[in-house]
Amino acid sequence: MNEFKINDKNKITSGFSTPDGYFSDFSLELNKKLKLTKTEVNVISINKKRWITSVAAILIVALAATIYTKLVIENPEDSLEMENYISNHSEISQYDLITLLDKKDIENLSIELNNNNSKIDKEFLNTSNIEDYLTE
Amino acid sequence: MEEKEFILQLLNPKTQNNAFQKLLSDYKRPLYNHIRNIVLDHDDANDVLQNTFIKVFQNLNNFKGESKLYSWIYRIATNESITFINKKAKLSGATSNELKSKIVENLEADTHFDGNEIQIKLQKAILTLPEKQQLVFKMRYFQEIKYDEMSTILGTSVGALKASYHLAVKKIENFINKD
Repeated sequence: MNEFKINDKNKITSGFSTPDGYFSDFSLELNKKLKLTKTEVNVISINKKRWITSVAAILIVALAATIYTKLVIENPEDSLEMENYISNHSEISQYDLITLLDKKDIENLSIELNNNNSKIDKEFLNTSNIEDYLTE
Repeated sequence: MEEKEFILQLLNPKTQNNAFQKLLSDYKRPLYNHIRNIVLDHDDANDVLQNTFIKVFQNLNNFKGESKLYSWIYRIATNESITFINKKAKLSGATSNELKSKIVENLEADTHFDGNEIQIKLQKAILTLPEKQQLVFKMRYFQEIKYDEMSTILGTSVGALKASYHLAVKKIENFINKD
């Protein structure tokens, strides 16, 4: 028996075939699909735009509502919360507080003190351990 | 018509439709054969061919003309075919070669296969080759694609392609002679 040589023999085709009229039907089918794909792309882009706009609007409203609520509700409680925080944290010393105060804060405090000089005098007179405070 | 001019027609909305119909009529048969040689089944080849043309149409604006239109289209078709067969194999829990072996085993019963014994034997012999060598052999032997064109489609040097084809021929001849 002769040895098989791929280039000696007549060319072997793949043997694959297609249904009758396949290629003309293919063009028609593809053109239909391409028109459909084009429309789908447009529909998706419009829907996507609407969707993005809606989400952006919801986010803006939610953000605005949060900021508004914080400003309206939380601000009045700021000073009270601060007092509670300081009283519940006994490890905070007066030196810590002093470092947190700037020049303006100190000036404000001195104005308050000046307005209450008579009260302070009275307090000094009535407080027996005033010397302890002063030395501290 | 020069390729540059044809590409401009494909990109121009006014001439795009006619240009695309020309592209479709020029490429549908050779591309079908290329895809069918990879995926083996007619219905699968039909799906992949449609996807290939849709991708070509949708990405025309991204085609920069760095390679020939022919190479670009064949590259899309090749990638689509390989992705398709890999996905199909994964879904059936097999390797792509196991899936192709199954299809080749059933070729005689395939209504879209007119081959005889030697053609089935050749398909079986091809399956003994590594995946890339199968592709090189099919493109060179069945479709007679030139090595330099194949090189731009597959991104492999001409020398490597020639060596791959030569090895493939030897293995196929051995397989058929042994049988």
